[in-house]
Formats: sequence, structure tokens, C-alpha cells
Amino acid sequence: MNDLCTDIGYKSINHYGEQLCGDHVEIVEQDDSAIVVLADGLGSGVKASILSTLTSKIISTMMAEGLPIEECVATIAATLPVCSERGVAYSTFTIIHIIENTTAEIIQYDNPHVILIRDNENYDYSKTEMNIDGKKIFKSVIKLRENDIFIAMSDGCPHAGIGIAYNFGWKREDIIEFMEALAPAGYTAKTLSTILVDECWKLYGGEPGDDATACVIRVRKRVPMNLLFGPPANRDDCNRMMALFFSKGGKHIICGGTTSSIAAKYLGKQIRASLSFETPDVPPTAEIDGVDLVTEGVITVNKVLEYARDHLGEDRCYDEWSVRRDGASMICRLLFEEATDINFYVGRAVNPAHQNPDLPINFNIKMNLVRELSECLKQMGKHIKVSYF
Amino acid sequence: MIIQICVGSSCHLKGSEKIVGLIQDAIAVNHLENQITLTGQFCSGNCNRVGVTIQVDDDVYTGVTPEGFREFFQEKVLKKIN
Repeated sequence: MNDLCTDIGYKSINHYGEQLCGDHVEIVEQDDSAIVVLADGLGSGVKASILSTLTSKIISTMMAEGLPIEECVATIAATLPVCSERGVAYSTFTIIHIIENTTAEIIQYDNPHVILIRDNENYDYSKTEMNIDGKKIFKSVIKLRENDIFIAMSDGCPHAGIGIAYNFGWKREDIIEFMEALAPAGYTAKTLSTILVDECWKLYGGEPGDDATACVIRVRKRVPMNLLFGPPANRDDCNRMMALFFSKGGKHIICGGTTSSIAAKYLGKQIRASLSFETPDVPPTAEIDGVDLVTEGVITVNKVLEYARDHLGEDRCYDEWSVRRDGASMICRLLFEEATDINFYVGRAVNPAHQNPDLPINFNIKMNLVRELSECLKQMGKHIKVSYF
Repeated sequence: MIIQICVGSSCHLKGSEKIVGLIQDAIAVNHLENQITLTGQFCSGNCNRVGVTIQVDDDVYTGVTPEGFREFFQEKVLKKIN
């Protein structure tokens, strides 16, 4: 196992007036490998949606079962009907198979070719043309490097703006130029795909003439992050919990007042609580030498969970947590953007001060917060480990 | 004089932010900037259902509310300083 990992994110917009998207992205992750399939069903609406969903599901499931890529392609190529009038298959597809975080195998059938940005510049990789059941399919094998950015698209992206902003749409070369400029900023895959698709939306004048999807795979170094939340159920476990927490590599975040007192005592340092209320509903943070971030507990983590849910869905609050300086926003940036592997150290102590019916805080809420937050982070593609004390 | 205001979970919900604002105003009005150091404090274990915990030097006062703030400042801060 090397120290690379992949960050995968995608976004779609629907053909104007359609409720369903004719593009579909299917991701199957297994240990250090991942299979990403982007399928674009011909046309739009329900027929296209069913075809692209079927295509991407069949391919990703077969590949996850370990079948060779040629066999998957042959099956799907033989299964997909060719339109009698137009002589084309109903669903095009792009497969990116990340193998043990060292190699990417790309199989492309009629979608715009995958863009690879390496060292902030377009990298022209070689392709081998194959003919499987009369279908022209391109295959490439690429050794991964840190900071590689793979961009798979449906043709709705290069078609953006046809007849509106551009005569011939947003050409692939223009998309490359647009993405090259974004590459050094260190955006996550989800953010990069959102920026690209939002640009398409603008070029279409808010009324897309086709479904448009972008799926980004970003190769990055693993970044471990450790989060301590709550004192241990048994006081005698304090030192053991702290020793385990601080022995781990990567940044250290501590959430909770009592928890930070225990940590400060363990380290023999002072806690300096700040009095600046950056965001009204999030309590101030504090500082302890040797700890990267110290925040209040349940209220802050609850806010992080709210942001996590939003980020996985509509992603409307990105403008808040990406810049604000309150505890919750800072945790969001560390967990959602910076970290790839997150270790939670959760104490099960019941805080006697919180056993008060007037306070909207109780033990169950805390345990639920951890469970739901780790579920969200898993959906963001993070590797999560939770240890209870 | 050091005044520490708790900004832990419970006190936050009981209005620490408002109290911090009130105390900053009171310090300015009485021109005590050079005599009082205002800091935050993480949960000191004095959570209650009334108000915010404030520590003035070594004395701990619990349950301070925005309504009772004037009296608190008069009794526990101004009297001590003068």
C-alpha cells in the first residue's frame, strides 16, 4: 500500500424541464481500489435515466466481482441495444478503474475523453483502440501520481452554450484551460465537479439543452486526522485515551470543555479560551499548545453534522464553512477537505452537568452525533475509525 | 482583576455571548480597560439552568443572566475594584 488515495466527487444537472437525469455515476470502492462508471443514456428523461443507470450498475457490479474489464465491456456492449434509426448505442460510458491506488485503467466508449491534469497541466495520455462487438472502445493504463486530476464528463459539458454563448459549444480544449486554472487551488473533487457543472449551467443560460455531468477523481496523499470527543466513561482510562490519541500521526482536534481540560492536564499546558463569537450559534474556540484545534463539544459538532449533510446534498452552505473562523467551520475544513483518514476517539462519560431537562444536550445526542457524522464522512469517501472509551 | 466568562456548551446556550457583550460595554463605560483582563473559560463544571458562570479572580459566580448583569457588575466587580 502506498500513501496515495483518491478523492471522488461528481455533480449532474438535468436537461431543462426534466425531473430525471439521463446521466448516471456509479462508484464502487473496495479497500485501495475504486470503480467509477459514468454513463450517459441517449436522449433525456426517464428512458435515458434507466439506460444509464442499468449500464453503470452492470459494469460496476461485474468489475467489483473481479471480472476482467474486457468481459464487462463485451457484456455491456452486447447488451445495449443499437438504435435502428441512428445506428448508435443507447448509452455511452466511461470507466475509471483505480487499482490499489497506483494505476488507473480507463475505458471510454463515446463519451468526451477523460481529461487528465498532471502538474497543473493537461497530460495527453496514450489510448489503445479496441473493437468489441463492433463498438470502438479506447483503453488507457496510467500510473497514478500525486495531484493527478481525472475529469470524466458527459457530452452535456462540451455542448454547453451551443448557439447561446458559443457557436460550437464549450470545446474540450476550453474546458481543459478552465480546469487547469483551478488545479493548483487544492479544491476537493466534489467542489471541482460542482464548479465545472455550474459553469455549464451558466453557459446554457440556466436552461440546459442536455443532461450534463462531471465526475472528478483527485489523487492525493493520505492525510490522517484525529478527533477527540468526550471524556472516557471510566476516569481511570483518561491517560490511556490521551496516550492513544496523541500518539497518532496527523492533526489533533479536541471537542468539548471537560475533554479539553483532561487533555490540557495530560499535556501539562494551559487552555486559553477565546471570547470571539465568530458565528452566533457556534461557541468560541480555545487553544492548547500541541493541539491543532480546540472547540466546544455538542453544539459545535451538531453544526458540523448539519454542514456535512448539506455538503453531501445541495451544498448550499459551502460559502459559510469554507471561510468562517468559528469552531464548526474550522472542523469542517479539516474533516471534509484536508483529511482522508479520520480517527474518532469518543468518550462515553455522562456529563453530570448536562443531566438537566432544560438543556438540549444529553448523552444519546452525543452518541448519535458521532454515528451520523461518521456515516456522512464515509459518504464523502473518508476512511473512518471510531474507538470508544 | 481577571474576569473569566464560561463559554462551554451550557453557558453558551444560556447567553455567554450576550454577557460578554454587556461586560465589554460596562468596562468601556467605566474606563476599566487597564484594570480588567477579560478572558473566556471552557466548561468549569458549574452548569445550571439559570445563567452563565463567571469567575472574578478566585471567586466563582453562577447563574448570571443579562437581566441580573447590572447588579452583578456593581456588586462583584465595581465594589471590589474601588
